[in-house]
Amino acid sequence: MLSLILIVLAAFFFTGIIIRTKSMASGRKGPGILQPIKDVVRLFRKGAVYSETTSFIFQIAPTIYFSSIVMAMLVIPFGQSKGVISFNGDFIFFAYVLALGKFFSIIAALDTGSSFQGMGASREALFSMFAEPAFFILMGSLALLTGHTSFYEIFTELHLGSYVSYAIALLAAFVLVMLAMIENSRMPIDDPKTHLELTMIHEVMVLDHSGFDLGLILTAGYLKFAIYGALVVNLFTGVVAYEYAIPLFFFIQFLMAVSVGLIESFIARFRMSHNAQFIVVLTSVSLLIFFGVLLISGKFL
Amino acid sequence: MVGLEFLLNFSWLVTFVAVVAICFASVRRKALVAVFTVLVNVVATSWPAFLAISGETVVLSLQAGSFLGDVPVRIDGLSAWFILIINFTSATGVVYGMGYLKAYSENSVKLALHWGMFVLFHLSMVWVCMLQNGFAFLIAWEIMSLTSMMLVIFDHHNPKTLKAGINYLVQMHLSVIFLTIGFIWIYLETGSLSFDAIESFFSTNNNIWLFLIFFLGFGLKAGFIPLHSWLPHAHPAAPSHVSGVMSGVIVKLGIYGIFRVISFLKADFLLLGEIVVTLSVLTGLYGILNAAVYRDFKRMLAYCTIENIGIIGIGIGIGLMGMGENSPLMYYLGFGGALLHVLNHSLFKSLLFYSAGSVYRQTHTRNMDQLGGLIKQMPQTAVFFLIGAIAIGGVPPFNGFVSEFIIYSGLLEGIQTGSLNQIGLMVLTFAGLSIIGGISILTFTKTFGTIFLGNGRKKMDHPLEEVPLIMLLPQYLIAGLMLSVAFLPQFYLAVVNNLLSGLCRFVPAGGLSEVGKYGGTLTQISLYSALFIGIVAVSWGVRLLLRNKQQAVQPTWGCAYVAPNTRMQYTGKSFSKQFGKIFSFLLVEKKHYKELQSGDTFPGRRKYQSRYLDLLERRLIDVVVQRLIYAANYFKFIQNGRIQSYVLYGIVFMLSIFVLTVLTIVR
Repeated sequence: MLSLILIVLAAFFFTGIIIRTKSMASGRKGPGILQPIKDVVRLFRKGAVYSETTSFIFQIAPTIYFSSIVMAMLVIPFGQSKGVISFNGDFIFFAYVLALGKFFSIIAALDTGSSFQGMGASREALFSMFAEPAFFILMGSLALLTGHTSFYEIFTELHLGSYVSYAIALLAAFVLVMLAMIENSRMPIDDPKTHLELTMIHEVMVLDHSGFDLGLILTAGYLKFAIYGALVVNLFTGVVAYEYAIPLFFFIQFLMAVSVGLIESFIARFRMSHNAQFIVVLTSVSLLIFFGVLLISGKFL
Repeated sequence: MVGLEFLLNFSWLVTFVAVVAICFASVRRKALVAVFTVLVNVVATSWPAFLAISGETVVLSLQAGSFLGDVPVRIDGLSAWFILIINFTSATGVVYGMGYLKAYSENSVKLALHWGMFVLFHLSMVWVCMLQNGFAFLIAWEIMSLTSMMLVIFDHHNPKTLKAGINYLVQMHLSVIFLTIGFIWIYLETGSLSFDAIESFFSTNNNIWLFLIFFLGFGLKAGFIPLHSWLPHAHPAAPSHVSGVMSGVIVKLGIYGIFRVISFLKADFLLLGEIVVTLSVLTGLYGILNAAVYRDFKRMLAYCTIENIGIIGIGIGIGLMGMGENSPLMYYLGFGGALLHVLNHSLFKSLLFYSAGSVYRQTHTRNMDQLGGLIKQMPQTAVFFLIGAIAIGGVPPFNGFVSEFIIYSGLLEGIQTGSLNQIGLMVLTFAGLSIIGGISILTFTKTFGTIFLGNGRKKMDHPLEEVPLIMLLPQYLIAGLMLSVAFLPQFYLAVVNNLLSGLCRFVPAGGLSEVGKYGGTLTQISLYSALFIGIVAVSWGVRLLLRNKQQAVQPTWGCAYVAPNTRMQYTGKSFSKQFGKIFSFLLVEKKHYKELQSGDTFPGRRKYQSRYLDLLERRLIDVVVQRLIYAANYFKFIQNGRIQSYVLYGIVFMLSIFVLTVLTIVR
């Protein structure tokens, strides 16, 4: 329950901090931290325009996408407190619920019959497919290391002892941050600020959504970032007492938002054809974690 | 048990009467007779199956003349599980087929042959699961293969269909050859053809080779790579209700055979499990990779069947390794996941084939790139396809997730027990299964999006409408059963666990209580699926409340391009283009086009063609077949067309039999 509140709180500020960082890096003052939330509230109150090509799929898809993110959020634990939902193998549920949301956002894009949206949908399906094994190998390795299979038990058992395990935690944090970037279609993969539809992924998929639906999609995006941030935090706060863990939570979320902003300011996006390679590299980092776990648990030799 | 024996004999009698009756019935009644007969057989064979699945093994014996003697007929939990799946899918198939074949009512001979064969085909499948004697089993197996071949070539005036049918026939007989070799080997070692002899064979001989021979035979039916090449040809060629039943059930009988052989195994579980898991992951990946690029939607579904056989195989492999590791959790989760996935796949794959068949029936094309926007004309079919697509992707809240979750749990259990190479295999399988899931999302968003969403890509020469109720009804039934698996998984899991605890000769002791915990987890998951639907409902309600502002309907935003048309939509081909490029080392794309020449100042119309080919079929199977044909050429002199030499062959054969018997070389 605690994690739910913290994630929602973090989601309020996360995207605002990213935008603020980017503005400051480019020498501007930038909008307020809460501007993205204000945008969403404005959108919630607006009317909508629907394409005459679309069917009911287009109408329900944003709702299902948003609900899948909420459902995924319920699974995330925080330190000593379980998530609202916790059972053996819940990380599989987490990944598959997110996949359901993606399924609907993709078919909603195809529902408009636009060539540009199809392009974005195709890329989204492709890149998230490549990101899948990185997450699963990472979680499989952590399950091997701790002997448990639910988020809560894995993170509370994850004692950081030797140097190798620090390396593993850092690598895992790297993988999770990069997964967050892919899932949210951020910089090295996708540029949310691009103005050319041909080079967009996520932005072009939601071109035709408006009003309440667009608000839901944006909110889901904010939550998604905070969810991945919470996963990263969990790597380090397994047994830390609450009075340290909660400030640590916000500190790490803040750090992550700032680094996302910095990455977006100083790194150019990849060529579309190189994205797949980059994501497969993540899988190999996950494999590295797996070998590290084998080393620690003495399975080698 | 006399009653049951009477029941089974009665069902044979009804079937033979029905086959004759179908020949003489009027064109409109043929399908009705077939439906009636299949339903009678369903009831007659489901009754003993229900008895068996509630824990009471049914044992009968069949008088089969002086040659075979008493043939043991035994329905245990495993047989019953498969019989019930066969019965359900065949029943929905025959009802759907009645509507599907309405259009062919002018061709009475074709229909008589088709419905007669369908009835026989259903009964032979059920008997495959019941017979416990090698020879009788092979006879039932052969009847099943022959009748299904006749069903595939329904449209036999089309040379392509005929070719696919012959391809299927040849491959099924390869499978029979392997099975026959297996049974003859057992006969030579033990002197008996009964299934109990397999057990005594395994307890005295090496387990590996006989298992692999049976695995080859049954694997051909199931479609493990590289033995899968009949599926992508036969499924598109067959009428849709037949493809639904074939994909839903026939390939599963290969799985049944593998399970049956496993139940007699005595040793070498670990090695065999590792072989099966490795092969299955590759099968799954290969199947879904190909499914992602094909534009013929029935061929795509055929490849997707191969993928699901891979997932089932992963479960079987985990179960085998659990027997080797003496880990009850792996045993129950692996085999249980596999058996549940057999059920789930038979449900959503038949649903997908039926709804795809409805599309084909109304549009007369299997090329998804010529379709589009069908959700407006055929909304119910579209929703059924969508349900099937979500379920087959293994995504909650549908039933595909249940079985995949159990298999994933088995893998997680396997990661924590065992040696280094086993852990490595398990983690790679884990990743492989997740890629399979990811690609199947891509495949089915592409298929659903291209066929049902957007605008129509090609002008149809007749108005499109929803298919009649008789074709929708079976799909409602299937969807209902799918939801019951999704929301009451603990019930199905309990049945499967009960079945598994008595299945193998070597069941790892204990563990049922721990497995019971997974039953609890599944109950939780079904509750969470309901919670998810609740969240969707709440957000939808909020949306309805807040959305009463002005709404407008306008054309799709064309990114400032003023004259977009329907041909500019993303097609299935373009959707998977980048994917195909990345995996070009596994997916062979053949393009035909003419480059612009230097003199073509004003180029006219030109054609561009691109299609994908099956890598293994081209690079492996075709090569072997070519070599075989080449080698067979050397023996052409035997078939020289002269009667005299044929008579001579006969005399030589008879003489040699005589001499060999007299000299007691052959007894």
